[in-house]
Amino acid sequence: MAAATRRDFLISKAWIQAVVLVVLCGFFVLGLLAYRTYMAHPPVPTRVVDPSGATLFTSDDVSHGQRVFLNNGLMEYGSAFGHGAYLGPDYTADYLRRAANIVRGIYGAPQSDAAARRTIRDFRTNRYDSSTHVLRFTRAQATAFRRLVPYYSGFFSDPTTEHGLKPDAITDRDALHDLTAFFAWTAWAAAADRPGHDYSYTNNWPPEPRVDNRPTANVVVWSVLSLITLLGGIGILFAAFGRWGSRLGWHGREQATLSFRAPGDVALTPAQRATSWFFFVMAALFLIQTFVGAAAQHYRADIADFFGFDLAQVFPYNLMRTWHVQLAIFWVATSFVAAGIFLAPMIARREPKHQDKLAFALLGALAVVVFGMLIGSYLGVHGVLQNAASNWFGLQGFEYLDLARIWQILLSIGLVVWVVMLWRVLRTRLATEHPGNMPWLFFLAACAIPAFYAVGLLARTGDNFTTTEFWRFWVVHLWVEDFLELFTTVMVAYMFVLLGVVRERIALTVVFLDIVLYSVGGVIGTMHHVYFSGEPAEHMALGAFFSAAEVIPLTFLTVEAWSFLQLGVQQESRSSVPFPHRWAVMFLVSVGFWNFLGAGIFGFLINLPIVSYYEIGTALTANHGHAAMMGVYGMLALGLAMFCLRYLIPAERWPERWAKICFWSTNLGLAWMCFATLLPLGLLQLYQSVDKGYFEARELKFLTNHTNALLEWLRLPGDVVFITGGAVPALYIAWLGIRYTVDRVTLDEPDDILFTVVREPEGVPRAGADEAAAARLV
Amino acid sequence: MTAEVAIAVSYAAALVVAAFVLELLSAHTHRRSLRFRTAGFTYDDRHDHWVCPEGEQLWPHELDRERRLVRYRARPHVCNACDLKHRCTDSDEGREIVRPLDPWPHSEAGRFHRVIALTLVVLSAFIVAVEFTRNHAALDVAALVGLLTLDVLAGSLLLRDLRLRPANFPEPAPWHGAGFRVPSRR
Repeated sequence: MAAATRRDFLISKAWIQAVVLVVLCGFFVLGLLAYRTYMAHPPVPTRVVDPSGATLFTSDDVSHGQRVFLNNGLMEYGSAFGHGAYLGPDYTADYLRRAANIVRGIYGAPQSDAAARRTIRDFRTNRYDSSTHVLRFTRAQATAFRRLVPYYSGFFSDPTTEHGLKPDAITDRDALHDLTAFFAWTAWAAAADRPGHDYSYTNNWPPEPRVDNRPTANVVVWSVLSLITLLGGIGILFAAFGRWGSRLGWHGREQATLSFRAPGDVALTPAQRATSWFFFVMAALFLIQTFVGAAAQHYRADIADFFGFDLAQVFPYNLMRTWHVQLAIFWVATSFVAAGIFLAPMIARREPKHQDKLAFALLGALAVVVFGMLIGSYLGVHGVLQNAASNWFGLQGFEYLDLARIWQILLSIGLVVWVVMLWRVLRTRLATEHPGNMPWLFFLAACAIPAFYAVGLLARTGDNFTTTEFWRFWVVHLWVEDFLELFTTVMVAYMFVLLGVVRERIALTVVFLDIVLYSVGGVIGTMHHVYFSGEPAEHMALGAFFSAAEVIPLTFLTVEAWSFLQLGVQQESRSSVPFPHRWAVMFLVSVGFWNFLGAGIFGFLINLPIVSYYEIGTALTANHGHAAMMGVYGMLALGLAMFCLRYLIPAERWPERWAKICFWSTNLGLAWMCFATLLPLGLLQLYQSVDKGYFEARELKFLTNHTNALLEWLRLPGDVVFITGGAVPALYIAWLGIRYTVDRVTLDEPDDILFTVVREPEGVPRAGADEAAAARLV
Repeated sequence: MTAEVAIAVSYAAALVVAAFVLELLSAHTHRRSLRFRTAGFTYDDRHDHWVCPEGEQLWPHELDRERRLVRYRARPHVCNACDLKHRCTDSDEGREIVRPLDPWPHSEAGRFHRVIALTLVVLSAFIVAVEFTRNHAALDVAALVGLLTLDVLAGSLLLRDLRLRPANFPEPAPWHGAGFRVPSRR
């Protein structure tokens, strides 16, 4: 029976073919690049020896040092290969600079050209023997390593908190030796010529004249080519859109005259009611995230003193930062999961029994993961959990994938359970639909979320750092930038369909266009994160080229999406019940704006290899991160919450004023944060990096100098507005959701859940049931 | 002039420029957004009517004071006989088009972008104020005063029509959705 009534695909089949083709091509290339990553990453020598054959460190030492680096949360303090946090130094650049200075001191006077040339030769010559897997350091390099072990030991076992780390952060002598070995290995890969080439494994990153590290031809040429691609592509796209744009078919139709169902009249299913708790958890996590973010930010303004209190004793910088970035993912994901559970019964028009129990079980599991993550991070950073224990229950330590492996696995399983929950609801509806139509897209987009999050499990703390970075960015880029984006688009388009803002065909066209345009550049564009993390030059070439190509649809699609997202605000029809989602659609308008500014402009600002070469790991990255993550996903998560809470809170209790304050405060606070501090700070840091050197731009001395500290204080008004006016009201609204959840419960939804089409002559609204009821009440 | 003041003044000036670029871009996206409903139709402002792609004219039909819109409507018998009706409208009363009465920023979305632009100008003035407290050399003060004048001008320009235009968003009245309210309050 189901087959007989199956609805056909609403738009041209060419869309499906295009999507399949683009996605297959993208992942085929990405597969090749994964293979190349394993073939061409910088090797970890089994032994590194001095000229006399004495062992300096082994591959086990490097691997252990890397685990020490990660499990103690040091990637949330400084960085390696440019990736990590920005308060501490980049340890690749830091070791390279210190080692080069020592070597040069050994070879002669500071002004000696011969000594400078000999230093360069020492570092650039690749003395790794691929048959014996032994790397031979020169005598001077070996001396440098032996001198730097005590230096880094002193740095990390410092009994004070002057660097923003906890006192006596790492005291174990072996751990400190191996940590230095890990830094030494990354610095070796950053300067030694890749076999057969005259540039290093990291494409000559970091910039360091002492070892003749300067931009390679590839860095310059691919920057230029990708810029030209971008300009040409935009020209072609706009020409094509001008010529054929009207055929996309979403233009010019009259909006039907609708009567919105007032929130109080929409009966909810048990699982929909359960989502009010999800939104409460979301808002609580959001508030905590802003607090720990403020604490992390305070370290940059005044590192040693938190209003008279030595914060680093209990909450060192790296703990604040790891909580900040992890909670950012968690609260946004909580909102998405809840919105998925909320929308599914509206799509399926029914809900199976016990769905609410599953929802509460899922929320319980989520709470276990979140609190486990928070506690584990604390224990990891404070060194209570060590080695394997820290890896499994404390802190894996990869930036954004910091959580312990057990929580990572549980979260992946939780997301699978969520997909199964959606399947239970949607099952019968899916049977009656062509697999290209909206219900299927909603389900398939949801499936991609656990699938690509689970890819992160391939990054293991002891593996070669280049490969772990490769898989980490599958999650950070592909998961966040592509598949969350896809799920977002589908969900927003569906909301618009459910609200009668657009028709299903148009929404479907928008979604398919979005998938094609984002996937063309976005899938291979993942490689723009790994220009300098030990990948061969083709990763940089393809990454630069395709991520520039990604900006073409961004400029076009974000302007288009910017306009599309404004559609919800144009409530021009004569509905008897005013459009109830004023602030939900306003959050979507702001998503359109931040998508253009934060993802498009600020993202492209740091995308070209030549810019990234000097910029990676500076405040300009943070600028892009905040404007894109909070601006797009944060605002979206809040918008989805507003949409659902509008139905969860009884109409007479809906706090319109607080919703308004929350909207304005989050947006203005974020704009202030970016323009008052992050952007100018990033520009100054970029200038310092090009002018004085990358090492100098990442020094604590520079970060905390007078000008920068002033800039950091400038953001205070914006942050106060953001937290007190944005995050606190959001929590209050969510609290109303659990305190007064509407009582009307159903398992079957009517076809026109959220609105009815009015077909009265002259469009004069008749007195609806609710108006009559209101009259009775008044 | 000290380097710090020079950099601060340049950045503050750039913020004002950015505010106006944002203003242009957001007005552009808003026009595009309006075109979602009116593409293919052309507006004749001399005679105040629209012409549809098939040549039918839509004349003013109603003034919606609550939403501050003019509604234009085509003749029902022409639309109902039109081959393209299924792609144009569901209504049997003739295709309708609306045009906002007020110029940009007349909508809630317009106000959002305008306020963001204003925030940039306020930030620019804030930076100037901070610099005033730190630098007192004659040249520095001259540059800062110059920029402050620019900020005030730009700010008042952006603020002027923002205050005149309503958001045009119907406020939800407390009785909306009261249909199933339990009479006794908890």
